[in-house]
Amino acid sequence: MSTLNLNDAPAISTAFSGTDAVTAQIVRSRLVAITDQMRVALQSVSGSPTVTEASDFFTGLYLPDGSFATMGHQVTFEAPPVGALIRHLLSSNMKLRDGDRIIGNDPFIGALHQNDVQMCAPLVVDGEIIAWAGVMAHETDMGGMDFASWSPKAKEIWQEGLRIPAVKLVDGGELRQDVLDMILAATRLPAQVGLDIRAFIATLNVASERLTELCHRYGTDVIQGVMVSMVADSEQRMRQRLLEIPDGVVHTRDFLEHDGHTDKLYTVDLVATKKGDSLHLDFSGSSPQAQGFVNCSRAGLMGGVAGALIPTLGFGLPWNDGLLRPVEVSAPDRLICTAMAPAPVGSATVETIWVVSNVVSAALNRLLLATPEHAQRAQGVSSGTMATFNLSGINQYGEKFGLHLMDPLAGGFGAFNAHDGQDAAGPINAPCPSIADVEVNEQKTPLVYQYRRLAQDTGGAGRRRGGVAAEVSLTVSIPEAEALVMTHGVEVPNSTGLSGGLPGGTIAQWFAPGFLNRNDPSAELNDSLTVPGGFTDLGSKPGAFPMRDTDVFAVTWQGGGGIGDPLDRDPADVLADVRRGVVSVDAAFQTYGVDLIDARTGRPTGWDATATAATRRGIRAQRLGVAAETLPLEASPVGPEIAPAGLEAGERWLPLGDRLRAIVSDSGEWRVQTLSGAVLSTGSTKWREGAVRYELPLPERVGRSLHRDLAVVGWLCPVSGALLAVDIHLVAEEPFHDLDLDLGSDITVGLALNTKEN
Amino acid sequence: MTLTTDIPGTLPDETTHGWSIGTDVGGTFTDLWLRSPSGESYVCKSPTTADVVTGVVNAVHLAADLAGLGTQELCAKVQRFGHGTTVGLNALLTGRSAKTGLITTRGFGDVLEIGRLRRGTASLKGMDLGDYFLRGQVPPLVPRELVVEVNERVDANGNVLTPLDLASVEQAAEILKAEGVEAVAICLLWATERPEHEQAVAEVVARILPEAFLSMSHVIAPSVGEYARASTTTANAALGPIAGHYLLKLERELRELGMTAPIMMTTSAGGVVPAAAITSSPVNGLLSGPASCVVAGQSLGKEQGLPNILTMDVGGTSFDVGVVVQGVPLLREAVTFGGADMRVPSVDIASVGAGGGSIASVDGGILSVGPRSAGATPGPVCYGKGGTEPTTTDADLVLGVLDPEAFSSGGIILDRDAAARAIEEQVGRPLGLNAVEAARAIRMVFDTTMSDLLRSVTIERGHDPREFTLVAGGGSGPSHAWALCRELGMEGFLVPATATAQSAYGAGTSDLKTTSSRTSYIRLSSGLTPQAEHAQTLAHALASTSTAVLDSVPDPDHATLTHSAAVRYHGQANHLDVYLPQAPNAGDVTQMLSRFEADYELLFGAGAGFREAGFEILSVRSIASRSTPAQPSASNGELFEELGVRQVVFEDPDVPEATRIYSCRWPAGGQTVFGPCLINLPGCVVVVPPNGSAATDDAGVIHVKVGIL
Repeated sequence: MSTLNLNDAPAISTAFSGTDAVTAQIVRSRLVAITDQMRVALQSVSGSPTVTEASDFFTGLYLPDGSFATMGHQVTFEAPPVGALIRHLLSSNMKLRDGDRIIGNDPFIGALHQNDVQMCAPLVVDGEIIAWAGVMAHETDMGGMDFASWSPKAKEIWQEGLRIPAVKLVDGGELRQDVLDMILAATRLPAQVGLDIRAFIATLNVASERLTELCHRYGTDVIQGVMVSMVADSEQRMRQRLLEIPDGVVHTRDFLEHDGHTDKLYTVDLVATKKGDSLHLDFSGSSPQAQGFVNCSRAGLMGGVAGALIPTLGFGLPWNDGLLRPVEVSAPDRLICTAMAPAPVGSATVETIWVVSNVVSAALNRLLLATPEHAQRAQGVSSGTMATFNLSGINQYGEKFGLHLMDPLAGGFGAFNAHDGQDAAGPINAPCPSIADVEVNEQKTPLVYQYRRLAQDTGGAGRRRGGVAAEVSLTVSIPEAEALVMTHGVEVPNSTGLSGGLPGGTIAQWFAPGFLNRNDPSAELNDSLTVPGGFTDLGSKPGAFPMRDTDVFAVTWQGGGGIGDPLDRDPADVLADVRRGVVSVDAAFQTYGVDLIDARTGRPTGWDATATAATRRGIRAQRLGVAAETLPLEASPVGPEIAPAGLEAGERWLPLGDRLRAIVSDSGEWRVQTLSGAVLSTGSTKWREGAVRYELPLPERVGRSLHRDLAVVGWLCPVSGALLAVDIHLVAEEPFHDLDLDLGSDITVGLALNTKEN
Repeated sequence: MTLTTDIPGTLPDETTHGWSIGTDVGGTFTDLWLRSPSGESYVCKSPTTADVVTGVVNAVHLAADLAGLGTQELCAKVQRFGHGTTVGLNALLTGRSAKTGLITTRGFGDVLEIGRLRRGTASLKGMDLGDYFLRGQVPPLVPRELVVEVNERVDANGNVLTPLDLASVEQAAEILKAEGVEAVAICLLWATERPEHEQAVAEVVARILPEAFLSMSHVIAPSVGEYARASTTTANAALGPIAGHYLLKLERELRELGMTAPIMMTTSAGGVVPAAAITSSPVNGLLSGPASCVVAGQSLGKEQGLPNILTMDVGGTSFDVGVVVQGVPLLREAVTFGGADMRVPSVDIASVGAGGGSIASVDGGILSVGPRSAGATPGPVCYGKGGTEPTTTDADLVLGVLDPEAFSSGGIILDRDAAARAIEEQVGRPLGLNAVEAARAIRMVFDTTMSDLLRSVTIERGHDPREFTLVAGGGSGPSHAWALCRELGMEGFLVPATATAQSAYGAGTSDLKTTSSRTSYIRLSSGLTPQAEHAQTLAHALASTSTAVLDSVPDPDHATLTHSAAVRYHGQANHLDVYLPQAPNAGDVTQMLSRFEADYELLFGAGAGFREAGFEILSVRSIASRSTPAQPSASNGELFEELGVRQVVFEDPDVPEATRIYSCRWPAGGQTVFGPCLINLPGCVVVVPPNGSAATDDAGVIHVKVGIL
């Protein structure tokens, strides 16, 4: 991402001052408006629910070299692909002219997977490309061996659907019907894809017309200059933001199980090195590429990085290529995140790309947490997977249909340090998530729901609770259809927490053939929070199976990660959670240590403060394996804003968690200590050296079926028994230090460390 | 609790020469428009009071003074009292509405919590959408503890999958009773296709909670999509007790003043309904203020013989635009307020957070105007009420557009030096501009924001702005309209003398209009043509909406009835309302689809439609209306008074233009002045740019031509 060479670009003045600055702002505003008009054009014409309902698409304007200068608030994974297509075109010998519209969907060029169809349009003035417009969207089916172009059975990318490297679909304004016919012949949904391609062309035409008008009005130089300056401004502000964050190395890992063929565990490993105003992301420690369709290509890796980086560090900044320029990504070929042919990549977006996004999010939030200015916005991982439910067959109107259910977007948001994560908020790659009404789905498609509700106890427990996910139970209203079910995150708690917060609940997928033939099945389903008898656990990737109108499929999605020890959660918040039904009475006691009053009525009215303090102390003592009386009854507030007690004059500190403080003395000596005063490390932030290791049992909804290759470790404050961190690690390897700040002299000079006074 | 106000047997006969009053309660001012039997018009403003009613009564006293009558004398002669208020909206936004419970189908009680995932980002706009830390600020309309589920289930075809379990309903009602709710909303899945379950639930709730205000979703928002239907029904229930109390009190106070005319309430759909109709469905009045403003533009267009109108209203915090095509305002079904999606038939209003109070700031070398607003308090820097951040009003003052001593005749002397200082320090310095250059920069960014919105509702929807007439309203509208016209290539704009009280004018003049809709889903797969059975389905639905709509009109014999169906291409997002006769046959339905296709291409561009995907007919709607007869306008206007010459910056900040200043309360017809000049009207300034001109007509409307640059 940092490899773009702007030296090749024509010399354009990017310095605006005085009245030029006003013109520049007006042009900027017009460019943003044009980008939004592209969105409107696409959503007006498209017939794909992924576009019209879920905003799973991208529109943007690009510099001549393929850097995007604007993007809408759309799926952030999709920021890099069209630029990659443009760069591919620039390096090819294809002769381009005004009115050309080029189509592509090749994962080894820029696409995330073949479903992501991209189109771009060069804007040519006086024989020179002065800008590009780009658009892409997820198409439900682009051919291949199975409906939806992703098949758990696939072993080669050639089985997964049509691949279009870069082809002129519109040549100088003339549609090439022969090319369009060829594309539509490859898909199972030619009407839908045909309409969407029409929408792409309309979108590019809108952009092209408006950009041309703008060039006539203000001059091509001004438009180009503004576009270049937009990217340069965002880059400069991103670098400034990086300077605010301490230098250091963060090591994070996430996993995905099952490649469609075997329940093998794959690792995505990230070593992120933040130095000065740049960031290096090294994925070299990840697993080799898989035999099945869970891989992503290098283009997918870039999508996953952008997907997490843009929202996590780009808050308050205009979103464009400038945000990605300070970032360098490295990884050898043929890893699960840099797969090469013949590796299939059909489910890349919801498998490896998603997990890449999880590890980037986890790493960047550890850095934000250690930055006093931004610590409050540090967040646990949000909905660490998106489970797929596809259905195809002949619908209730006698038409051939295929649906890609968007409801699984309704995972929980990771908790923030300052407040709980939102329930059913969606993943971080979707700035404006949306799902259809139950009624709309039942009217358009042959689905019948038994419930769509918040899933109790799926929010990662913590001082700040992760958002709970939603869950649905459904059948079909037609005699039979073919379902395709697949996900990761059944055996991996991907939505990890921070500061000792627990991961969010894992995915659960169940199937009960003939269930609706029973007496009053809906009451049975609704009465039970655990799935009733007759249901089979589908695991993570059952693949395709027939579904009849008496069968029931039930799925619970992942909640968001929590922040801080659950025993530090304000009992008033736990009470409110129980009254809302998002936390069970059992979890309130067992996980949060709160003794509720009138708990068994389902509408508790308060909590017993004395009993709660004792219960919590008991749990902490049990973790440490000591007698309860030996521990203090904790009552002091915790959180990254709380100053450690007993600082010496001249000592300054950074928060590393709710209870962890990196403290530097007047003479420059560093130590990490807990709020309870236990010093865990000196001279480095590798504080696990001094913490108590503990075999943490995960709650049922989180650890129901942990993958056999995974284990969980909790790290405790030796004085209080409070949970400082939760590590999910390979059984075969020891947990590692996740944060190693560079404690050289720069950190005390450049950063706004807290002092005793504040 | 059921509240009723008297439903008049017949409407007042407005053809006899009675006085008409229109009132609109905004956040800061209560506006009033008054017209005498001979057509003389007046507008006045009174501060909005906490109880709202007092502010309205104060405005009536002021109006009587203006007309030279005693209050009782005027009130006795009033034959029409139109009223719009933001009472409901404020109650909803500030959580002061009634304590409300929601009853849903079992398994779907989290409908408001999940909110289609849209609630989390509902309050966010622009760059804030990229800041996830800001999400989730809008709580559900009712807390989860007040949502109870009942055992029942109906499917999409109206078949019962699980019969209603009355014991579960009683249990639900008892829970809500124990919680002490004042209102209950009932929204069951597919109640639109089989309302019997909701009706049965309502009977039980009425028995157990006899005092509670009840709303059923199939009545309040009969459309498919349970989130918006539940939100709308819940909001309606929450507002019911408040609206009822408010209208009773208003009616009592007006009666005490001697007014016998019934209160006609404005609705979001544009038009007025008897107060009783709003009492049972207050949610229909939530966005009535902006809608009345568009309706005012529509009726001005009707009087002027102009079918295509763009209305613009620039208030303190927002810029609102309405579009009237061929004499009819564009409508939409879905609106968002209080962070929730609602299904309320509404005039389609596009809005952006840019107004007279919008704050200008420079961040990272980028100048932005709005969406943050200084509001009425502390207000712009020049108000001297504690505002420290420069606003667009401060910029207008520095540019010479506003007169420091005559602003809005509100008695405030504006502090030009403070405004200039703030602009220079906070905008000028970071950009390397002096105060006047920076003020012009603010104005240009502000105007660009507004013209982008105008562009998006015209050009981007297939309308050529040059075929429209812009009607400028609101405090800052008439002073910025010239720049928008030049930006969009429009010849000029109109400023009615009621410019700063357009919503009140709309309330006083709108047609009576009630609507009724119901779902009527028909899927026409690719290649199929409408059959007799389809026509019968539609005719059956229209029969019930016609009956419903006529039942809600006081004087059905004189009402005009029209019908439409909502149609879309299968799979696409946008539907259009297309005309349909009341008892259609298959041929009528085919013709309707042709009209749909033609309209669709017009709006979304040639080739946007895709008949190969097939059609979906979603619902039908009947509208009963009774038009307000045209009134004679008599000029009670004045000649422009020339106040002098001031330096005003138009294009070049270094070369201000010597600009003549005129003033007038209500312009007399037949006058023409040439730009550059300013015309001070009560509460606003009309800016006529260099090379432009302004002429007045007998209705007091100022026709501004912006001229060639």
